[in-house]
Amino acid sequence: MLELFAFVGLPYMAILICIVGVVWRLRKDPYGVTSLSSQFLEGKQLRWGSLPWHFGILLIFAGHLVAFLIPGMWQSLMSVPWLLVSVEVLGIAATLLCLIGLGVLFFRRLTTGKLQKTTKLADFVVTSLLIAQVALGLMVAGGYRWGASWSTGTLTPYVWSLVTLSPDVSVVRDMPLPIQLHMTGAWLILLILPFTRLIHMVSVPIHYLFRSPQKVVWSNPRRHEQAVTARVTQESRRHFLKAAFGLGTAGVLLSVGVLDKLGRFFQMPGMHKDEEANLLETRLRRLQLTAEEKELELERMRAEEIFVARLSELNGQAGKYFIDYAMRPGLAFKGEDGWPMLLSAKCTHLGCTVGNQVDASGRILCPCHVSYFDIKTGMPNPGAPAKAPLDKIAWVVRDQNGSEVATESARGSRTGRIDVAIADTCSLYIVKSLTLEA
Amino acid sequence: MDIRAQVSMVFHLDKCIGCHTCSVACKNVWTDRPGAEYMWWNNVETKPGTGFPHRWEDQDRYQGGWKLRNGKQLELKSQSKLGGLLKLFYNPNQPGLEDYYEPWTYEYENLFDAPEGDDQPTAIPISQITGEELKIERGPNWDDDLSGSPKYAANDVNYDALSEEERQQLFEIQRVAFMYLPRICNHCANPSCVASCPSGALYKRGEDGIVLINQDVCRGWRACVSACPYKKIYYNWVTGKSEKCILCYPRLETGQAPACFHSCVGRIRYLGVLLYDADRITSAMSTADPLLVEAQRDIICDPNDENVIASAKANGISDEFLEAARKSPVYKYVVKWKLALPLHIEYRTMPMLFYVPPLLPVMGKDGDQPYDHAEESFFSSLDKSRLSIQYMARMFSAGNESVVTSSLRKLMAVRYYKRMQQVGDLQEDKVKRILREAGTTPEEAEEIYLLTAVPTVHKRYVLPPIQREEAIGTSCDVQDCKGSCGFGSRSEAK
Repeated sequence: MLELFAFVGLPYMAILICIVGVVWRLRKDPYGVTSLSSQFLEGKQLRWGSLPWHFGILLIFAGHLVAFLIPGMWQSLMSVPWLLVSVEVLGIAATLLCLIGLGVLFFRRLTTGKLQKTTKLADFVVTSLLIAQVALGLMVAGGYRWGASWSTGTLTPYVWSLVTLSPDVSVVRDMPLPIQLHMTGAWLILLILPFTRLIHMVSVPIHYLFRSPQKVVWSNPRRHEQAVTARVTQESRRHFLKAAFGLGTAGVLLSVGVLDKLGRFFQMPGMHKDEEANLLETRLRRLQLTAEEKELELERMRAEEIFVARLSELNGQAGKYFIDYAMRPGLAFKGEDGWPMLLSAKCTHLGCTVGNQVDASGRILCPCHVSYFDIKTGMPNPGAPAKAPLDKIAWVVRDQNGSEVATESARGSRTGRIDVAIADTCSLYIVKSLTLEA
Repeated sequence: MDIRAQVSMVFHLDKCIGCHTCSVACKNVWTDRPGAEYMWWNNVETKPGTGFPHRWEDQDRYQGGWKLRNGKQLELKSQSKLGGLLKLFYNPNQPGLEDYYEPWTYEYENLFDAPEGDDQPTAIPISQITGEELKIERGPNWDDDLSGSPKYAANDVNYDALSEEERQQLFEIQRVAFMYLPRICNHCANPSCVASCPSGALYKRGEDGIVLINQDVCRGWRACVSACPYKKIYYNWVTGKSEKCILCYPRLETGQAPACFHSCVGRIRYLGVLLYDADRITSAMSTADPLLVEAQRDIICDPNDENVIASAKANGISDEFLEAARKSPVYKYVVKWKLALPLHIEYRTMPMLFYVPPLLPVMGKDGDQPYDHAEESFFSSLDKSRLSIQYMARMFSAGNESVVTSSLRKLMAVRYYKRMQQVGDLQEDKVKRILREAGTTPEEAEEIYLLTAVPTVHKRYVLPPIQREEAIGTSCDVQDCKGSCGFGSRSEAK
């Protein structure tokens, strides 16, 4: 448990707190961020403390960074004996410089009266931690030979495992205690960085090398305009970057999807027999429906008249559905005078199929958006969503011999007469010619 | 042509009485804070003297200002770019507390709280840094009025140009002379402090030329402290940030003269706008030492020139600013009359504070008469001056004596002219000859007299409206910052 905390929990905690802490401090308290140099109060000893310490630690840090970033190349270099020995000697020399520098700095803080005014407890904590860390490093370098060489095979994979979010403590678990302590010390230093004078590490002014010598800040209106323009340009660049990032991400996701489909296509996943049967059944049903529809269409293309119903089957309460020449639903009723009434059942609002039940006031209802249509005239009720009346459909009634008894065109003009006596034996047809005429 | 405006200054040294009122006004307003006790954004030095900090003019020691590489290329004396980064850890050219002085106060409480005893209680001096008893050995004006001359005046850096014999003469008791030199930040047009700042915290305001340090960006690397040849940037050891004269910009922005100007007893200070061509700064500051004063005058533009006005307007300089530039007393002293000279132009920072060199300590001794009125040698006293022209030239014209001489001659001619008018013991044709030889006219002499001797406050301080209400906040949004302006510690340093 302790092991897990020291080698996984602490590093992540330290990195997280360091990043969040630095950002927080730089934004919240930029006035407090400073190197807090004390050269002004005491310069003579500082020279012999600050210079060795900083140059030493920069060299050491560079060494650590190289072993972390290019382990392979570094290892092959370190297999050259004289190079390995020189690197180790240089490292130990730099470590000694660090120790001397820290010692002078520590001593100076303790003994110079003026400095004590600017010294806080945190300064001693930081200095002590650094001294301990450097001393441990020296112990590792001296006690476990050729650290420059073996660290690439052990510590580097561990740190990389942390970086790639797949922590692997197997290599460090069995390390000697000084090495483990040295690593813990490093995480601790990272942890306290944002809250102590170590914050000056994030202010290293590298940009000084590249900036122009003079800096003039304008704040008058014309320059303001320029500043706004610059800001807008910057912002549009930021928007562009955001959009590009968004598009890129979308592209990646899409291609992941496409690749997935492609992969599955070539993978030909096996389907269970039942599933397969169901699938085939569904497909067959769909095909049948399509075939039926096509059949109806074909019939309407060929035939002049299409049978709707026998007259005896019709009544005034519930309409009978049929399909008209335009492949639209229609409804057939029988009027009080015994003559058939044929209406389109396609609602003139959004094309739903109108219901066939006639209510007390002789109307049928479109259930989609509640339009009532009068079955005699086809007119919708006032205020209904549907504005136009349902179309009338032309028909012809023939007796059992097939001779024409009566007709009605789509405009409503009637011919013939329906005899009550033979009415029950007659059949109702819709007529192409009369419909088209309308 | 890239015309910038600068609120610039003239100090008329003949009028300075060395009272330090300006220094105290500044101290009370700005530097009466922990860590800033030792700072004197405005100080008054006695010359000859070593100044504050000790021997600040010694650029071999402090490496301030610019140098010419191969006699052509301007570069910082204190550091190269890479060298600047290496000096972060320890800057060998930075003055330490010992070069200034350890600030102190007195233990006044002891006067009230001391236990009863035989002796009168005293207020002993205590350090403002450690709070412990302090033996005072040096102060910010320890060499005031030539006190401690063997230690201070004798070590004046500007004596380097003088021969040993000339130096000895200066300390003959009969001809001892001194002058006062009030100093604030010069708000240079080619500031070496800005160029040296690793963090980029220092900047020059385009519309009024004030050089400021953004306290939120400063990281206390102290490169500016050594790069400023005038040592007018101070390191605050409590906050860990550097600070400098801000030309009281919160006062300027509300139409008031800076505190040191406002409080000046001798009315020696003039404030006005100069227009200059920023495109030519580098080339002007790269000329040879003797030509530097003239090169600087040359890039200060005539505010009545139409091209200049057009270019200034293109840069967003307001009509009010241009109007102030036309009325500027500084323009008259510096360019029109060529009386006021920059201090140590050889540092090549193009300082925008100018000094009218003092005539009184220069006036020679002629027999029993302090002034030489011999008919044929009006200006001969300059040659026999008590403070040598060489010495003055070292301070005000990079060693070019003719620049200083012509300024002093003109000052002298104005006096002859007024003497003729008011005392009446000089003949008019002779005075006219004097004026001619000094390169001036009766009209100009009258004008010089009026602005020098009896100017009203509005003639001395021609303050343009800075139009803060139109400016974008350089540090924070104006709405957010309303009710608070100026400089101060907003939070404790960590």
